[in-house]
Amino acid sequence: MIQFQNVSKAYSREAAALHELTLEVPTGDFVSIVGQSGAGKSTLLKLISAEERPSAGSIVIDGWNITRIKKWQVPHLRRQIGVIFQDFKLLPKRRAYENVAFAMEVGGAPTRDIRETVPHIMKLVNLTERATAYPHELSGGEKQRVAIARALAYKPQILLADEPTGNLDALHSWDIVQLLIKINKLGTTVLMATHNDEIVNALKKRVVTLNKGKVVADKKGGTYKL
Amino acid sequence: MIGISFWRILRAALQNFFRNFWLSLATTVIMTLTLLIVLFLYFANIFGSAVLYTIEQKVDLSAVFTDDASEEQIQATAKSVLSRVDVQSVKVVSREDALTQFKERNADKPFIEESLKELEDNPLPASMFIVATAPEQYVQIAENLSSDRYQDVIAQVNFEQDSQDVIEKLINIISTVKSTALAVTILFAVLVVLIMFNTIRLAIYSFREEIDIMRLVGASRWFIRGPFVLESMLVAVSAIFLATLLVYPALRGVAPRLEQFFFAGLTAEAPFDMYAYAVSHWPTVLGLQILLAIGLAVFSSLIAIQRYLRQ
Repeated sequence: MIQFQNVSKAYSREAAALHELTLEVPTGDFVSIVGQSGAGKSTLLKLISAEERPSAGSIVIDGWNITRIKKWQVPHLRRQIGVIFQDFKLLPKRRAYENVAFAMEVGGAPTRDIRETVPHIMKLVNLTERATAYPHELSGGEKQRVAIARALAYKPQILLADEPTGNLDALHSWDIVQLLIKINKLGTTVLMATHNDEIVNALKKRVVTLNKGKVVADKKGGTYKL
Repeated sequence: MIGISFWRILRAALQNFFRNFWLSLATTVIMTLTLLIVLFLYFANIFGSAVLYTIEQKVDLSAVFTDDASEEQIQATAKSVLSRVDVQSVKVVSREDALTQFKERNADKPFIEESLKELEDNPLPASMFIVATAPEQYVQIAENLSSDRYQDVIAQVNFEQDSQDVIEKLINIISTVKSTALAVTILFAVLVVLIMFNTIRLAIYSFREEIDIMRLVGASRWFIRGPFVLESMLVAVSAIFLATLLVYPALRGVAPRLEQFFFAGLTAEAPFDMYAYAVSHWPTVLGLQILLAIGLAVFSSLIAIQRYLRQ
């Protein structure tokens, strides 16, 4: 369960990204977060992964109040949260397989675990045959699937997707969304910030609409409406 | 877990070191120069002290006792002089000892022996030789011995001002060398810190994607810092190796010339051998380098990475 209680985030006195936002996301939910640019979608996701701290209010994740999380606790939090981005953020000099293994290495996973887990995840994202390719040899969709595989390396409870289809064509976009649905069905809570109205409408899942840092609509089986 | 992490950090450090080879080499060279200057300061200090000690032993401050001075008076005077804080030792030569030494020195001159036989009494006075705790104390001791307090016991005070001048000049030279070398060392240390900052910041820049992803996937701060700290330690160890490789052969070549220049005719004992000293004191020489190089490397890399982690 993710709970936002009257959360505000201001980058400066004039620019408030979020304003007294209250939101609850039960475990296992799939939420699309929509809104115009600057509505606060990315800020909301960054607050969950503790990349940003709230200016006011409280954020609780599975009973853990992360509002004033200590620096040394952040790595522990992030190992429970997978994050994917529009620009993939893959290491260009490492193969697809190594990109996934890297995430487990920095977290101190034993080599044996890495050898067992990574092929399993690569299979889940349907990239077994492309495991030895470098990022520049992969298509946009494949790159995003590697990024998802990396995000799944720790079997996270929560998956944050910030515009995951922003750089992809319609076919690959749908491919990625299918994968996110599959991951969600395995029990992972998925929060996806997106501008893609076709996908949001086709999903028929919960849609949270933000405007100027506030929740203006929150509907199950909702549609993309700004 | 800790073992695995350490191995991975070490592997990343080695990769960083070789991927930024020219930067690593430049930092190693500067670090080596700093170590060489510090070692020069250290050895110059040791050698200067050895030269000074030898010259000090050559300083001639002696007092000749009056013919009337009794053995008790002589011993009391010697004891009184020895009780001064600036006096290290006092050696009393009695009239008999002086005569014996005189005869030994002139054993090959029969006319002196004959002359002595003509005299009924021992013509040589008793005397004492004084060694001060520090060279600058001699003038003061000499003045004190010439004072009224000892006028009934001491007939003459012998002190060569020339020796004092030589010592003062030497002290001045050593002190100048020390302060100059210290200033140069500090200058180089600052340069090393700045260059190491830049090396590490450039390395961070070239690894910014990996660092970003490390943070993203929950790498601990030490896992991110580790490779950069270890890389700078690797630079320090290389610099220590290079400095040692240069210093010992240099000392071996220079030591005999230094001995010849500073100690020839100055002492009957074996002269101070700088190379032998450096070999026998290798733990101190190595320890000094480790303390400086590793300390400097770890300090500068921690500060640089800390600044980055705050961003």
